[in-house]
Amino acid sequence: MKLRIVILTLVLAAISLSAYAVNPRDMKFPDLTFNPPEPTRFVTDNGTVVYFLEDHQLPVMSVSIMFHGGSAHDPADKIGLADITATLLRTGGAGKRSADQVDQDLDFVGASINSQAASDYLAMVMKCLKKDIDLGMGIFADMLQHPLFDTAKVSIELSNRKDAIRRQNDEPGMLTRRIFYETIYTGHPYGYFPTLASTDNITRDALMACHKEYYNPDNAVMSITGDMTLSELKELLNKYFGQWPKGNKAITPPPMATMQYKPGVYYVRKDINQANIRMGHLIMTDKNPDRHAMDVLNFALGGGGFTSRLTGQIRTSAGLAYSIGSYTFYRPEMGSFFALCQTKAETMGQATQMMLDIITKVKDSGITQEEMDMAKESLINSFVFNFATPDQIVDARAIMEIGGFPPDQMKKDLEAYKAVTLADCNRVAAKYLEPKNMAIIVTGAKETFDKPLDTFGPVTDVPLDIK
Amino acid sequence: MKGSLPKLIWPILTAVFLTGAASAQDQMQIPVQQFTLPNGMTFLVAERHTAPVFAGYISVAVGSAYEVRGDIGSAHLLEHMMFKGSQNIGTTNYPAEAILMAKEDSVWDKIDRARQDLIYIRLNQPEKVETQQKYIDSLKTVLDTLAAQSSQYVVQNEFDRIYTRNGAAEFNAMTGYDRTSYFVSLPSNRMELWFAMESDRMKHPAFREFFMERDVVSEERRLSVENNPESKLYEQLIGTAFIAHPYQIFWEWQSEENNLQRRDLADFFKTYYIPQRITVAVVGDVKLDDVKKMAEKYFGDIPAGPRPEPIYTVEPPQPGERRVDVEVEGSPAVDIAYHAVAFDSPEQAPFQIISRLLGDGRTSRLYKALVLDKQLCLDISVGAFPGSELGDNFPDIFIIFAYPKEGVTTADVEKGIYEELDKLGSTPVSDNELQKIKNRLDADFIWGFYSNLGLADRLATAQNQAHDWHYLLKMRNNLKAVTADDVMTVAKKYFTPENRTVATLIPKVTGGAQ
Repeated sequence: MKLRIVILTLVLAAISLSAYAVNPRDMKFPDLTFNPPEPTRFVTDNGTVVYFLEDHQLPVMSVSIMFHGGSAHDPADKIGLADITATLLRTGGAGKRSADQVDQDLDFVGASINSQAASDYLAMVMKCLKKDIDLGMGIFADMLQHPLFDTAKVSIELSNRKDAIRRQNDEPGMLTRRIFYETIYTGHPYGYFPTLASTDNITRDALMACHKEYYNPDNAVMSITGDMTLSELKELLNKYFGQWPKGNKAITPPPMATMQYKPGVYYVRKDINQANIRMGHLIMTDKNPDRHAMDVLNFALGGGGFTSRLTGQIRTSAGLAYSIGSYTFYRPEMGSFFALCQTKAETMGQATQMMLDIITKVKDSGITQEEMDMAKESLINSFVFNFATPDQIVDARAIMEIGGFPPDQMKKDLEAYKAVTLADCNRVAAKYLEPKNMAIIVTGAKETFDKPLDTFGPVTDVPLDIK
Repeated sequence: MKGSLPKLIWPILTAVFLTGAASAQDQMQIPVQQFTLPNGMTFLVAERHTAPVFAGYISVAVGSAYEVRGDIGSAHLLEHMMFKGSQNIGTTNYPAEAILMAKEDSVWDKIDRARQDLIYIRLNQPEKVETQQKYIDSLKTVLDTLAAQSSQYVVQNEFDRIYTRNGAAEFNAMTGYDRTSYFVSLPSNRMELWFAMESDRMKHPAFREFFMERDVVSEERRLSVENNPESKLYEQLIGTAFIAHPYQIFWEWQSEENNLQRRDLADFFKTYYIPQRITVAVVGDVKLDDVKKMAEKYFGDIPAGPRPEPIYTVEPPQPGERRVDVEVEGSPAVDIAYHAVAFDSPEQAPFQIISRLLGDGRTSRLYKALVLDKQLCLDISVGAFPGSELGDNFPDIFIIFAYPKEGVTTADVEKGIYEELDKLGSTPVSDNELQKIKNRLDADFIWGFYSNLGLADRLATAQNQAHDWHYLLKMRNNLKAVTADDVMTVAKKYFTPENRTVATLIPKVTGGAQ
């Protein structure tokens, strides 16, 4: 760097330090009292649960629908079916409109419809200006009830999906993520990812069967908000969804996931100058009552950003990583806990050891009262952000309903966070964190690492062939 | 800095967002109120009482385009250092800490000089290399010792802790080329906290834990650029398209960033973080009068600074096509860039319309032709770089990103793209297609106001960039006024081979289990 005369700028600044009007550190605020607007809930004649919130702030409408089902329900030889079906509902034509006509009509008015399969539910979202609601709702309803699955569009989608699979190892973060789930969910649908072969097994008939099985009104929850009254909405729903026949199908959930992998290191060879590390294990389902204590604990461990131990020690104090943290991802058939970071190859071993040590220490000795207070205050004070916009309010209710939670689950969650004690945190730390049973995925070039991989357990090489 | 507060004059401008034509959109009214402190700091306030929350957004008119050679990375590292607290937050004893930091800086100077000397020792006195290396290592040990001593005064991440405890959401910052922004959402009863915190770090910054944070920023570069094939391609594209203008650097260079010093950032801060270059937007469940009172109390005593020199560099016209091959572990891709215009150019609006025509939605020309009809690409998209909503401060580049399907050559993809670009320059766009774009712009414009943070961002950015947030509305009218002729003229003028830069990703296969 350019040589300059050393001026002790900061020392001079310190001398001129002026008095503080109010010290932010000492500012105290009362708890926020907030009763979010309560959406209207009703059930249509053909069995769809609807949440609706009137909102006249902007001349817009947001309409979502969710279904039980999802990619965890894919047949073993057709992984990817649910997501491809979801895409083709959007892109394959609907009712009297060809695929291209649907695109043109939506694009012309700046309306959007997105459709996707998550692992445990299916979701489709339509957004449009209020003035275009008849067009938007009409197309949305046709996609759900009368999809055309245009053969040309089906073949383009399948071909593009295969191209995407060929590119699945390009980006180290996404690669590491995939290998992590494939490993910890060995033998379970949560660990299945589409392959060239599974994509080749998917036919137009399979898409139609998937649609018939899951996209039924009595399997659906809608969340709607926007510039409309309840009676206008009911009329609209009756017009576009009134004739939608019930499916009368019970959707069987996938089996519960159990630990089938060998703890240790899973090495993914990639010629890069940074190691991508993700370590973790199965933890608990989304209905486990220990979930709230676990959230508080994880906040202090690695979920609470700069306030957490992982970030404080590995990023702030050691400068080893930019992105570092730990996460809990609760799912109906068994969730996961994981910590991740990316660090230069020469500090792979140092960072991995620190992560393991920090997790082990929390398991063995728990967290402090101060850490717990910080986590609880943050979770409680930021709870209002679950209700900051009308679509968040209604969508949250639909997600709870589809997940099988009671209607007042959000309130219960808040109460549960308030009730968590230090003893709860430390009990769940000891019970659920399993640093000795982790799958540790390391992506990078091992000859550049500072420590041999077997420092952290038996090493399995992960092949990257595209199948 | 100290002393009694000057009298404030409050020029209040109240404006209402109203769309042009008589339509349902006329119902949309978001009152934006504006005032400027005597020191030149401008505030925009939009009251919205839907939920008891607000977003605070600070936009500073400086970004990485203002970095000088040798100090590349200073805007971004400074943004990181602003999270380290202040001379009040994040420390138990700032004066003691400041002395240690000054010592650290002088040790770093010694390391820097010793490294430079090493070059000549290696050439002329090879027997002394080892001694010199040991000297450098011993200095590094001193640096570690000083860092350890400082840590006794550091209250780690206290700035973040205070916000987090108070329920902050979306707490972050962004370094762009022309602007740096700091933002957070909080429960509305915490508004005074926001003023106290933000003014504190603006008035009394403290760049503690500096050397560690430099390493963190290096990891950010490795993550975001060096180990991401698409970013690597992008970096080469931009570096090839620009030869003079500071937009040519996609991310910082690690060699320069690794040698940045605290005083580099202090200089940068002092020069550019002055009230006249700072715009603040507060959007949500707040009251104008409260915002005014707090703005005066917390930001009123910052003195105005001297106006820094602008960026004079003008990118010279490109005399012919530029091409660059990028060999990385990845899959084929091609990025095609054309030099375009700055935000204040009359050609900005036609360019934005062209961008939509080519790449917005499934019916856009490139997606329709290359993905759906000819099936040459798996995906294709367009964008501007750096890419602000209203256009960039200096002439930017317009880019097409294409991902060829298995077995398709990048040459075939290029050919397909050029055909579409030629069509734009030779055949007028139909009324229907132009209307589609304008309708989509309308819809996006309205949705852009849905969240507090989104609105705060747009208001603060527009005010900061154009010195009048109404430019948002003016640009909207400019876009609506674009004709088929405008589109043809601009396409013909800019989509020429000599104005083009092409970067091609050539897959290098080195992976797989070993």
